[in-house]
Amino acid sequence: MMSIVRSEWLKLRTVRSNVTLAIVAILLPLAITLLTAVFIKIRDVDDSTIPAVLLGSGTMSVLLMGVVGVLVITQEYSQGTIRLTFAATPHRSRVYMAKIILLFAVSIVVTSIVQVVGSFGGKAILNSRGFHGAVFNDQTTVAFIAMTIVGVLVSFLGLAIGTFTRNPPFAITTLVLWPLLIEGIVGGLLSLIFGEHMRTWLPFSAGLGSMQIRDHFLHLGRWGSVGYFGAWVVGISLIAHTVLRRRDA
Amino acid sequence: MITVEGLTKKYGSTTAVDSLSFTVTPGRVTGFLGPNGSGKSTSMRCMIGLDRVQSGTTLFDGQPYEKLKQPLHEVGALLDAGNAHAGRTARNHLRWLAMSNGISTKRVDEVLELVGLTDVAKKRVGQFSLGMKQRLGIASVMLGDPKVVILDEPANGLDPEGIRWIREMLKHLASQGRSVLVSSHLLSEMALMADDLVVIGKGRLITECTVPEFVDRYTKKWVVVKSPQLGVLVSLAQTAGMHVSIGSDTAEFHGIAAAAIGELAAQNNIVLHELATQTGSLEDAFLEVTADSVEYHSHSEVKS
Repeated sequence: MMSIVRSEWLKLRTVRSNVTLAIVAILLPLAITLLTAVFIKIRDVDDSTIPAVLLGSGTMSVLLMGVVGVLVITQEYSQGTIRLTFAATPHRSRVYMAKIILLFAVSIVVTSIVQVVGSFGGKAILNSRGFHGAVFNDQTTVAFIAMTIVGVLVSFLGLAIGTFTRNPPFAITTLVLWPLLIEGIVGGLLSLIFGEHMRTWLPFSAGLGSMQIRDHFLHLGRWGSVGYFGAWVVGISLIAHTVLRRRDA
Repeated sequence: MITVEGLTKKYGSTTAVDSLSFTVTPGRVTGFLGPNGSGKSTSMRCMIGLDRVQSGTTLFDGQPYEKLKQPLHEVGALLDAGNAHAGRTARNHLRWLAMSNGISTKRVDEVLELVGLTDVAKKRVGQFSLGMKQRLGIASVMLGDPKVVILDEPANGLDPEGIRWIREMLKHLASQGRSVLVSSHLLSEMALMADDLVVIGKGRLITECTVPEFVDRYTKKWVVVKSPQLGVLVSLAQTAGMHVSIGSDTAEFHGIAAAAIGELAAQNNIVLHELATQTGSLEDAFLEVTADSVEYHSHSEVKS
């Protein structure tokens, strides 16, 4: 199994666009956070300022992890390598599992770099500007953990959507429009008819909502929402895996 | 050794491969022959489990492909040389493939050397010509030093030098005791590299035999005769019930050996200026055998 994971890792890092994507997923939220630390008025700063910016801009990293998830499978279809992959590993569940393990590792590394460099870089900048209070608290640490898990889950979801569509642009569009457009419209309708809390029954609203510092608006609470989103991702992944096994390559 | 048994693949109501059975013997090159759209590529994909079959089995030395733990060591298949990411270097393309089956990077460099791509190993596959991609494809086939080699139209798009390289490579692989299955829609090409033939049309097996058997069985033979007394000979033959077609100064005798015509002439004191057996081209034989199974015919004849 490890040899297949290593093979998948080699595939991922030897395509330039994948590497660029990972770098963007790291640099974008870091740039926003560190610039905020440079320009924010010191009297407005408290122990959740830096985490709030990191978590807000980190949503982009999380969605980009989904795009990486999409690419690790759709790239294979668009370039024809899927047939070599399955010829080399006829047990297709192993290929899917290897991609899951790879995405798990990559997502954790990317979100961890964002959180650690963002927090400590932001702290250093604020310190140099004369702010010496705490830059995170218990609640923000919990939100960071939720962000890491959600990043992993979104990358799995990207893999599942990519498996269904086999087409990079279509899969990426689906992945991005789902939280931004579809859940926006459906969520808006739901909250109009049934009240604001109904929105968090939508999978992405629950998942992305769980990485907010305040979680009072979440119907299921922070971990309940993470679990709820996770259940959706697991369900969709199981279907995708079955499709992958039965379909002609 | 490959044993295909009752392979059937349907796409909706279309049957692409219809209970196909054949074997590929070690030490020989087996040509997999059929017109375009006859189901060669589909059969090959089904054989290695890429396409899911409705029924039938393919065994590689008694094992189905799905049961092979590290299949690149057993079966090397090149279905489409274009199946490589354009953005990866040739070496990295082979490396990920090798890694998944526990094959070392050292072996990657060996196969690159074997196919003559060492100098361009660090170039992106997107910059490769078709011939270079075919060579890269052959390299990927050889990674695991497999006992069975399957190639789909490897000579497609190659220049004469490249075709000769493929041909010699395949013969060499077979001479090492490997089972080699290679598809083509050109019989002329197959006649030069194959020992055995599996001919299919519309997904069904038409014939399975050696190349000489195929030539013997399906090519037309006739005898061309030149003689100053041609008219006499022709009428003698026709009374004997032979089928003769007459040209300007020659006659073609069908269904009879040259020796018999020679004897007939001698018995009747007829002078012969020429007595020669003619054999139809392999291409004609192939076209005739598969005539009923070509999916799309052109209806205008081209006069040659």
